[in-house]
Amino acid sequence: MNLAVNSTMSPAQDHATREAAFAAALLDPALPMPAGLTTARGRPDPLRFAVYRNNVAVGLIRALEARFPVVEKLVGADFFKAMARAFIRTEQPATPLIFAYGDGFADFIAGFQPAASVPYLADVARLEALWTRAYHAADRAPLGIAALAAVAPEELALLRLVAHPAAALVRSAFPVGSIWQAHQGDTVATPASVAAETVLVARPDLAVTVTVLPQEDAAFAATLLAGATVGDAAEAALEANPAFDFGPAIVGLFALGAFTALETPDGASDD
Amino acid sequence: MNRQTLAFALAGSLATALASAALAGPLPAEKMVGMEKCYGISLAGQNDCAAGAGTTCAGTSTMDYQGNAWKAVPAGTCATMDVNGHKGMLEPMKG
Amino acid sequence: MATAVTTAPTPDTTHRTASLPVRAGLGLKPEHVHEILDTRPDIGFFEVHAENYMGDGGAPHRALAEIVSRYPLSLHGVGLSIGAARPLDPGHLARLRRLIERYRPQSFSEHLAWSTHDTGFLNDLMPLPYTQETLARVARHVDEVQQATGCRMLLENPSTYVLFEDSTIDEIDFLDAVAERSGCGLLLDVNNVMVSAVNHRLDPFAYIDRFPLDRVGEIHLAGYDETVDGAGDRLLIDAHGSAVRADVFDLYLHTIGRSGPLPTLVEWDNDVPSLAVLLAEANRVDAALADESARRGAPLRLRA
Repeated sequence: MNLAVNSTMSPAQDHATREAAFAAALLDPALPMPAGLTTARGRPDPLRFAVYRNNVAVGLIRALEARFPVVEKLVGADFFKAMARAFIRTEQPATPLIFAYGDGFADFIAGFQPAASVPYLADVARLEALWTRAYHAADRAPLGIAALAAVAPEELALLRLVAHPAAALVRSAFPVGSIWQAHQGDTVATPASVAAETVLVARPDLAVTVTVLPQEDAAFAATLLAGATVGDAAEAALEANPAFDFGPAIVGLFALGAFTALETPDGASDD
Repeated sequence: MNRQTLAFALAGSLATALASAALAGPLPAEKMVGMEKCYGISLAGQNDCAAGAGTTCAGTSTMDYQGNAWKAVPAGTCATMDVNGHKGMLEPMKG
Repeated sequence: MATAVTTAPTPDTTHRTASLPVRAGLGLKPEHVHEILDTRPDIGFFEVHAENYMGDGGAPHRALAEIVSRYPLSLHGVGLSIGAARPLDPGHLARLRRLIERYRPQSFSEHLAWSTHDTGFLNDLMPLPYTQETLARVARHVDEVQQATGCRMLLENPSTYVLFEDSTIDEIDFLDAVAERSGCGLLLDVNNVMVSAVNHRLDPFAYIDRFPLDRVGEIHLAGYDETVDGAGDRLLIDAHGSAVRADVFDLYLHTIGRSGPLPTLVEWDNDVPSLAVLLAEANRVDAALADESARRGAPLRLRA
């Protein structure tokens, strides 16, 4: 074995190593400016490196501000910026699709101690994240109610429904939909509700819709969108609330564009 | 509830819902819902994509990368909004 | 109108890249789309950031399809990280190829910069040292992009705030060599030239005079911000948040005086003004292009 260590790295390693140092220093202002940078005067200038640091921080914080405007209104611009700054150090965008950045922001907020007195904040962030996801989701025509009406009565309970790519639920112990709605105007209205809410985010065509479901339908919608059969979802809903009424609940979900196809027990699908 | 009773109940409930929707005339599905029961509220909202990389430069006038603590009480709406007894009392953050 | 980008990345340095019209173009801003479709302003082309249209569907694609049915399109990528040590992301290349196939843009361009590292995408354009190693890598990456997309791309000169001690190649020679090896064209950002020249104490006019203008398929213009560095020297920031500055416009006139009229984009991405303000900026550019054409005895036809 050759014990002599070759101290010169290959050019590719060198480039990669220096890039890593550059990236690390971008994200952590406590680190010194990377070695090897200079100016026309031949003197390294940390203020110039700070331009890159600032661009990264501002760019990512602005991306979060754009995706989470209600969270920002709730906590105020200064607090939001500080919270976002803490988040961007824990998670950078997975891809250059900057509109998709922040999928982990709600979970981060849930564990963010300075915001602990706003226990609904994370759920509002979940709703806003789903809004953008729905906005960019694939274009699919929602399944019309006629497809459901055509199902033989004895097959109804065994049916599974394929969720629309934009459709997703936020189930919250707080009035998350009402809080979100109250912040849509220039002035903040009083939330219409103080009760727990389950919200369906959908996009039947181009416009994203945010709909507060009747609370007795929440368990049904959640179970059904998770891929359970209609029968199992109805039973779960009845267990949670005996007042659950299947007909209006499923017609309502169809009308909101929650599904794209149905799968009958024999494996056939209809969209 | 056994499976057969369930199937029966589901089919009956659906038929009722569809029938009363049909009575309201040939309306698009969204309109049908209101006939059944108040199926929530549809809420508006719009935002769009941020500018791309290299276009978000704030120069050096606002140095946002620094984790400087702020002292002021937050100016957010959570401080005045009472949600189930929760009024936001955000804590100051340390740099 | 809808002729696609030149296919097959065969090196052809005598051939002008762009089939973009030799006109002023504007960056397409979502807040202006309705007004543009309603009023159909006479604009040479629109440019979009490719990454903003890499979602699966929805309003952005609907809007872009409407725009593309009426105007030529320049697709400008900000996320390929061509200058990085790491390999190009095959997933991102695939997204780009799908986008190009879907909208058949008249031009595709990207940056001489890197933006992605192990921890993720950094959302800014980072500089790289100019060495034989980075030159070989960038030329290879450009070639991969052209092979994957089936079209010849333009590579944009960067705005930079630092220099690398171990750079051994001049920026212009670097860009020229990448173009020579890969067959790509160049996108000359005149604002970037001013920003980098001031920041590195160079003469921006001398930079233009040395630039291989015959490789340029598109010009970018934008507004910069100004501050000072740690030594008290002027430091220009590529901010895209204001009108094109007077000195940059002078440099632009000098540029097209040498190159002849070229498709020219006005970038304004922050503090986006009304469409009317952007159209006025575009008109200023169109007038300069018309003057240059007239000076060359070949009047530019501004209206179809």
